[in-house]
Amino acid sequence: MKSLLLIPVIATMLVGGVYLMADDDHYEKGNIKQRAAQLPVSPQQQSYIKECSSCHMAYQAEFLPKRTWAKMMNGLDDHFGVDASLTAKDEKILFDYLQKNAADSKRVGKHFAKMAASAGDTSLRISDTRYFKKEHRKIPQKYIDQKEVKSIANCNACHQKAESGDYRERGISIPNYGRWDD
Amino acid sequence: MKNLLLALFCAASLSAASPEVTQYIETLQSKAALADPAFEGFDAKRGEAVFTSEHLGKKGKTIACTSCHTVNLASKGENYFTGKVIEPLAPSANSLRLTSAKEVEKWLRRNFNDVYNREGTAKEKGDVLIYIMTK
Repeated sequence: MKSLLLIPVIATMLVGGVYLMADDDHYEKGNIKQRAAQLPVSPQQQSYIKECSSCHMAYQAEFLPKRTWAKMMNGLDDHFGVDASLTAKDEKILFDYLQKNAADSKRVGKHFAKMAASAGDTSLRISDTRYFKKEHRKIPQKYIDQKEVKSIANCNACHQKAESGDYRERGISIPNYGRWDD
Repeated sequence: MKNLLLALFCAASLSAASPEVTQYIETLQSKAALADPAFEGFDAKRGEAVFTSEHLGKKGKTIACTSCHTVNLASKGENYFTGKVIEPLAPSANSLRLTSAKEVEKWLRRNFNDVYNREGTAKEKGDVLIYIMTK
């Protein structure tokens, strides 16, 4: 019986696991990713993905700490200069989803954790975190400015599997450049 | 007789929208009539002007609805700021358009704010919806 009770716990950990962009070698072991991919996406996560990805990739909640998401969700009517407001009911669903899945709410992969831990208190942008900047510092500006990429915030322009939370180097292909080896 | 023809015309043009969106357009109609007693119904030509005219938007840049949706509503568009692909707006090209009143309300609220830097009036919203329905 006790082991039965553990199933939801393990399932939750696995769902988290799909978003862990854990280090490359770690990632290869076992088929955690495969199993996690079979778990259904919760209705809350579905809402989150649907609403955010109307305009941009739905960045994984694990990228930022709770306080940053809270601030972001409290200003959706001026979301980086754009009106991204929702009904109060939908904003609450997304707010709760983000609080529950933020980097400081559960165990997350070490790269997510570093990103969130290096988030400042003023900027809401993932691309303004110290760790993000460090990881992207060698990318020539011309590859970011080109029309296929447009912005450093456009993760999946280069990280081909970004939408599934996989940011490993092997998944990188920069338009008009190709594979990126650091 | 004139009224009957008008009703038939409305029914035909409204078929590009779902019953709930048609109902939403009717509420806009009541509001527009309330705001202006001389209001005679929505107009696709005015809607086209709402859709294609340029304005100083919320971000301080001059944009129009067409900046993202393009002038051909049956083709895909692209978010002016993020580059994300936007599915066609024309119901003839995208059967999901104008099916949910909630979605329609959400996008009209947001996009008027983004392009006009203010909320749209009932008349402007109705006109632009009628315009989209002809596409």
